[in-house]
Amino acid sequence: MSPDSPEPTPSDASRLVVIGAGPAGMATAITLAERGLSVTVVDQNPRPGGQIYRYPAVPSTKPRQPDRGGALREHLAEHSDRITVLSDHNVVGIYPERRLGLCGPEGFRILAADRLVLAPGAYEYVPPFPGWTLPGVMTPGAAQQLVKSQGVAPGRRVLLAGTGPFLLVVALALHEMGVQVVGIVDTLRRRDAFWKLPSLLADGKLLKQGLDYVAGVRKAGIPLMTGHIVTRAEGRGRLEQVVMAPCDADWVADHDRSRPIVADALCVGYGFVPRLGLAQLAGCELTPTNLPGGWIPVTDAWGQTSVPGVFTAGDGAGVAGAIVAELAGQLVGLGVASSCGAIEASEAERSAEPIRERLHQLSRFRRGLDELGSLRKGLSQLADESTVVCRCEEIRRAEVDEAISSGSTTLRSLKVATRLGMGPCQGRMCQPACARRLYDLGLGSLEEIGPPAFRPPLVPVTVGQLAGMDAPGGEPADAELVEDGWEADSAS
Amino acid sequence: MSTTTPRSEMVQFEFDGQQVLCRPGQSVAAALWAVRETVLRTTAEHQAPRGYFCGMGVCFDCLVTIDGRPNCQACLVPVAPGMVVTPQGAARAESGGGVS
Repeated sequence: MSPDSPEPTPSDASRLVVIGAGPAGMATAITLAERGLSVTVVDQNPRPGGQIYRYPAVPSTKPRQPDRGGALREHLAEHSDRITVLSDHNVVGIYPERRLGLCGPEGFRILAADRLVLAPGAYEYVPPFPGWTLPGVMTPGAAQQLVKSQGVAPGRRVLLAGTGPFLLVVALALHEMGVQVVGIVDTLRRRDAFWKLPSLLADGKLLKQGLDYVAGVRKAGIPLMTGHIVTRAEGRGRLEQVVMAPCDADWVADHDRSRPIVADALCVGYGFVPRLGLAQLAGCELTPTNLPGGWIPVTDAWGQTSVPGVFTAGDGAGVAGAIVAELAGQLVGLGVASSCGAIEASEAERSAEPIRERLHQLSRFRRGLDELGSLRKGLSQLADESTVVCRCEEIRRAEVDEAISSGSTTLRSLKVATRLGMGPCQGRMCQPACARRLYDLGLGSLEEIGPPAFRPPLVPVTVGQLAGMDAPGGEPADAELVEDGWEADSAS
Repeated sequence: MSTTTPRSEMVQFEFDGQQVLCRPGQSVAAALWAVRETVLRTTAEHQAPRGYFCGMGVCFDCLVTIDGRPNCQACLVPVAPGMVVTPQGAARAESGGGVS
């Protein structure tokens, strides 16, 4: 779809709404404001920044270094005449004609948009393994939040595990704050990375940054255990010990050579899952990928989805990190500005050219990283029969296996048969890994297994919140929505 | 990791009947983690301990009851002085409640 498409109503008074105030959402809003447009940014956090540039909850003990997040926040504030930020607001539903159901401190309201930009970001992928529900096991991002935003150490002896450069970033952040990091366990073998060098060399700056992290980890004396995988977390009531084993190129663990390592915090993550809930509620078409989460929205060259007037940018549109997210946000901002007639299509093209060039350059580097981080079947073999695979509904792998042997080989049928994914997280934690396991067992293609399905409200809200409260400028909540509580969620 | 907040500026709240001090602005989960209170709830089915996991409000594992309101996400809610926090016993049974 071209940016000068006549659909829907082009007008300077277009109501533009961006959901998410991470790098992509902030960049989109800033680009729109720079073109003279007014925009509302809806964000669930108390301050803009997203997860990557999260505003510290407590003042840091270290002098704050100037960071990209701070710069974007400043730009956002400079345009406060055009950019309205609704912090502490959750989008609980998206209804026809781009009407959003918002839940904020003043209750529920409807916000209508002529153009909608989804910038929901991503969360970490953790496939189930024995002991993964023990307190003390958390994601690397959770550990980073504790240490950087909250000023709290995740543990006295912290082990990082999974795959990808983010483990190194978190390890160094922990080390700098005086936390003892007992090791980094990465499924990648050194020789795997070697073969990806040509594409990684496509971006010298980023490659150098990555090598600097490795050098930093070495200098800090943190053991980097490549070609290994964490197979088990153990402890009574909380984490006391982690078991790890060497793994092969498919990340299949060699349990005969496993060994324990004492740790009271295990930070484990195998990449990031794009948050698809908003795109699904908006009716956007999705396409399968070999990366965590398994699905991303289909978009055109301006980030517009299959639904006219609905755009998406950043990790929620396909995980590529903060730098790419910011550039993608700028691109989508131009596309939106052009689609509502604020700038000429030719001007949008001209302004987009250098952004596209940079994105193209970065995409080669990203491809290298993606190939390194693409999911291998060993991850699907970590859980044993008694491992809880759905953390909310406490469904063990044995129950899922039973349903599979009775013929449930899609996410939807497994949900009906076992309640997998019917808890408050709506399957965000269990369904991507479950779909991947069905795939690795050869039970179907990703299309046949299906994407996770989300229903409103996207986050649990009380009936009171939905029914009574009617903030200024809002419309009353539809009765249909009130009855649609998440506990009453059916499996469709 | 040392804290630089003077004691007089610390915020006090209650968890499971015990008084806890934390730094202003800290989330309930972080404040409890700092004092090694890592079990935030016990599951309905298997009575298994659960704690802080995703740190960003996605996993719903850190559910606690705050001032009588069940299903609050401890990783998202900042501590307020005098808050009464109790570990949650049976998340599923209480699931109709609100999540902030």
